Parts: sequence; C-alpha cells; structure tokens
Amino acid sequence: MDLALNLQTALNGLANGALYAVIAAGFVLVYRATSVVNFAIAEFLLIGAYLTYTFSLFLPLLPAILLALPLAFAFGVLVERVFVRPLLGRNVVAVIMATIGLASALDGATLLIWGPDQKAMGTADAFQLPKEVPNLALRLGEVFLSSKAVWSLILALPLALLLIAMLKYSRYGILLRAISESETAALALGINAPRVVAVAWGISALMATVGGAFLAGAAGGGGPGHHLILLGLVVFPVAILGGFDSVPGAVVAGLLIGLIEAFSQLYLESLLPGITQAIPFLIVLLVLLFRPYGLFGQHRIERV
Amino acid sequence: MAEIQVENLKVVYRGVILALQGVSLRAGAGEAVALLGPNGAGKSTLVRSLAGLLPQYDGRVLDGRILLNGQESHHLPALKVASLGLTAILEGRPIFRYLTVVENLRAAGHKLPPERQKAITEEIFTRFPRLYERRFEQGGYLSGGEQQMLLLGMALLTEPKILVVDEPSLGLSPKLTEEVMRVLDELRRDKGLTLLLVEQNAKAAFSIVERVYVMEQGRIVFEGTSQEAQADADVMEFYLGGAAAGGFAEAKRYRRRKRWV
Repeated sequence: MDLALNLQTALNGLANGALYAVIAAGFVLVYRATSVVNFAIAEFLLIGAYLTYTFSLFLPLLPAILLALPLAFAFGVLVERVFVRPLLGRNVVAVIMATIGLASALDGATLLIWGPDQKAMGTADAFQLPKEVPNLALRLGEVFLSSKAVWSLILALPLALLLIAMLKYSRYGILLRAISESETAALALGINAPRVVAVAWGISALMATVGGAFLAGAAGGGGPGHHLILLGLVVFPVAILGGFDSVPGAVVAGLLIGLIEAFSQLYLESLLPGITQAIPFLIVLLVLLFRPYGLFGQHRIERV
Repeated sequence: MAEIQVENLKVVYRGVILALQGVSLRAGAGEAVALLGPNGAGKSTLVRSLAGLLPQYDGRVLDGRILLNGQESHHLPALKVASLGLTAILEGRPIFRYLTVVENLRAAGHKLPPERQKAITEEIFTRFPRLYERRFEQGGYLSGGEQQMLLLGMALLTEPKILVVDEPSLGLSPKLTEEVMRVLDELRRDKGLTLLLVEQNAKAAFSIVERVYVMEQGRIVFEGTSQEAQADADVMEFYLGGAAAGGFAEAKRYRRRKRWV
C-alpha cells in the first residue's frame, strides 16, 4: 500500500467531508430548532453557489462569498417566515410537502434566473481584480492537497466547529436548545422563539452557501449547476448517520462520509463504477438497520 | 407590584370546545390567591389565557378580557404578556430537560444584563443549595422537588411582578409540597409578587394564600377568603376529601349537594 497516497486520499476525503459537515450542521440546526426536515437543503446550497457566482462576476471570489453570506442568511429567514412558520404545528406531512414544494419552486427559479448551463466561477471581472481565491495548494513530501481541499479544511471545518461551540456555550445556542425542547415553555419565559428559529434558518442557509460555493468550485473545480442538487442530497445520509438531531454528530458524520467516499473512489470505483455516489446511501441503510438513532442521536432522559 | 383582573372570560379551543364560560377573578397587587378545582375545570386554560399562550393550544378568547395592572392583555401574544411582568410556570414541570441546571437558569435570565443575572443566580443557589450541588446536571435527571425549585429559580430570573404557578404540588410528596409552598410564600413576600396559585391540593394552597376561587366546568363557583373556604362545607368536602368515597348513593348525594353548578 502506498502510504502517501492513502494519506493524501484521507486528507482530501476529510476536506470534502468538511463541506458536507458544514451543510449538514446547518440542516440539523434547523431540525433541532423546528423539527422540520428541510427537503430544500440542496436548493439552499444551489442558491448559495449561484449567489457567489453572480457576485464573482464583479468581484474576486473571496469577497463574492462574503457578500453572498448575508444575502443567504436573509433568504433563510425569509423562507422560515413565509413557508415554514405558518405551517408549524400543522400535520407533519403538510410541512414535508411544503419543503418539497419549496425545493421544486427554487429549482425552477434558479433555472429561470441562471439558466440550465453549468457556470464557471469568476469568468468575468468588471474591475480587473484577481478572480480566484488565493491558491493554497500544498505539497507535503509526496502528499498533495488541492487548493479546494485546503480551503475546505481551513474555512468549512472551523465554521462547523464554531457552530457546535456556539450551540453549546453561547446565549443564542442555549435559547435554541431550550426552544427545541418546548417552544411553549420558552415563550412562557419570554424567550423570543420566533426570532431564534428564524436565525437558525438564516444560519443554515449561510452554511449551505459556504458549502455550496466550495463544492461548486470557488477554489477550483468547475462551477455552479444543477448537478449540485445531487451533491446536496448527501446531506441526508450525513444527518442520519450523525443522529439527525445532533450538530456535532452531523460534523463527525460529514467527515466520515467524506473519508469513505474518497477511499471508495480510490479502491472500489474501478471495480464497481458508480459505487462512490451510492456509498453514503448504503451506509444509511446499514445505520437505520443497526442504530436507528444514528451515531450521536440524543438519548432520551428517563428517570428510574 | 401588579394586579390581575379577569372579566367574564370565555375561551374556546378549536373553535368548538368552550373551556371557560365567563370567568371573573381578581388578584390584587402583592396578594396571594388560589384557584382550586378538579381536573377539567378549566384552571390550566385560565393560566394559558393569562400567559398569552392560547394560540399554542389552538385556543382563543371568545369574549371578556384580562387586565394586567390595568392594561388589556387577552389579545397579546406570550412575549408581550411576559414583558408586562407576568411569568407563568405551566403544569407538568416544564423545565428544559436536556439543559443543565445552569443552562436552564441562563435561558430564563436571557434578558438580564450579565451582572444582574449572576446576582440572581447566586441568590437562587443560596435559597436552593441542592440546585447548586447539581448545577451541571441535566434538568431531566433532577428529582420532582428539585425540578420545581429550578422552575421557581427560572421564574425569579424573569424578574416577574406577577407569578402564576400551575399545580406545583403535582407528583410531590406531602413533605416536598409543604417545602415548595413555604418557598413560594417566602418569594412572594420577599419580592412583593402577586401570586396566583393554581392547585388541586387545597390544603397546601390554603397555607399560603389570602383568597380562594373554586372552578367547576369552566365557571367560578366559589369566591372567598382562605378562612371562608375552609369554613365552607362543600369546599372542604370536595377538595379536602371530607366526604366518604364510593357508592351510587354517595354519587347522588354529591350531585345534590353540588348546588353551585
């Protein structure tokens, strides 16, 4: 076995997994706050990538991403206010159908606005500024890390870890966890539950944008297109593996799936073409069979 | 200090279930008032109405009004009601079970500046040393009595003027119930709170309140001082278990004597 190749595969897998982790962490955050499964998460990712692409027509990519973030946050808040909040407390199927409907509507909207073709990030630069994010590609001996991998590891992973820390220690995180247990009890204590929940949707959209921008090639490797929806669907196996209601679980599961995908690409793809795309979903099948609450699902508190 | 005034309040759930059928009640500023009644009398509906939480239960005020310190509140959402100084401790000990004791307190005191929050938290730990000992444990693992103490601590951190407590004695031993009542009384006197205590355990409630209301089937059927309630044969029979239980004859006698309904 080639140690350097395996190490390189592991690091690149972790880097890709960090992108899954950041998107899944936001997805699980919304589930924790509202018990709503956001079936439009892949479209959140797509819109984040397209927003970044649009700004990248005028600006270098890094400021383009930074500008896309507040817009994505506002978009998440808007979705919560317009589509989700009016349906909370209704039949769970109604809420599921609403997010599926939202996904279709957003698909259509992105097709209308940006067209069906895959775009290339930062192809035009009105101000003649450097288009790319700085190239951080690394070679450590025989191990090569692409710029995209390094950016993912230094941006997406810390962002996911920051979300975990925020949820654990910050005032907002405590309020969100309180609301996730009982919105009514929280309201009785004067906690502004609607605002906290809306912010959770905003954060989720923001994190999807970071993941989407880099999956779409902000640090090299293509550009946004509807193929991102398929990539975004990986969020579901990641969330299920992590326990669905655990943000740290989602982060660990994201990294794990990234690793497994990378090694499957290296060792299995030649034997079983297409296995890499299927493997996250096969893992979900196994998890659902043996650990229905995932790796880090919340244990019920029962006093005896 | 603030007062509660409820005038002819009618509340309906899902547009069809009339839970309150014209309830009128008053708790003066700094006063302790008990609301007694059996299961299904409408006590918790009144608590929800006072706290602005009816929409969460698919309910709404059909008629009448609620005044908190003179300000109409029956049409206000829970957040606005809370900002008027009313804190409701709902039935079923609704602490946040997965949050630690400290996190529960932080959530309750989220509006306070850090120094104020710290000062009140220290006061809570002084009053309830057991909570301090278990401060890093999840609320769900506390005993019933400790959870009730935690809820009182959380209520203190909202700096209420009016405290509405729904069935604090539920599931507690007589000794713990006595302790909870003592603490409630102490808090009310120390903080000058207006207290509306909603209870099925009349004996426990009598020990700390000045006036008593009794509810039956969505109506107030008795109103008087704590002494008057304890002197009333019906109240004593139905809420302190004075009557011998069982038998069809007893049931008929119960219905005949329940002349207030």
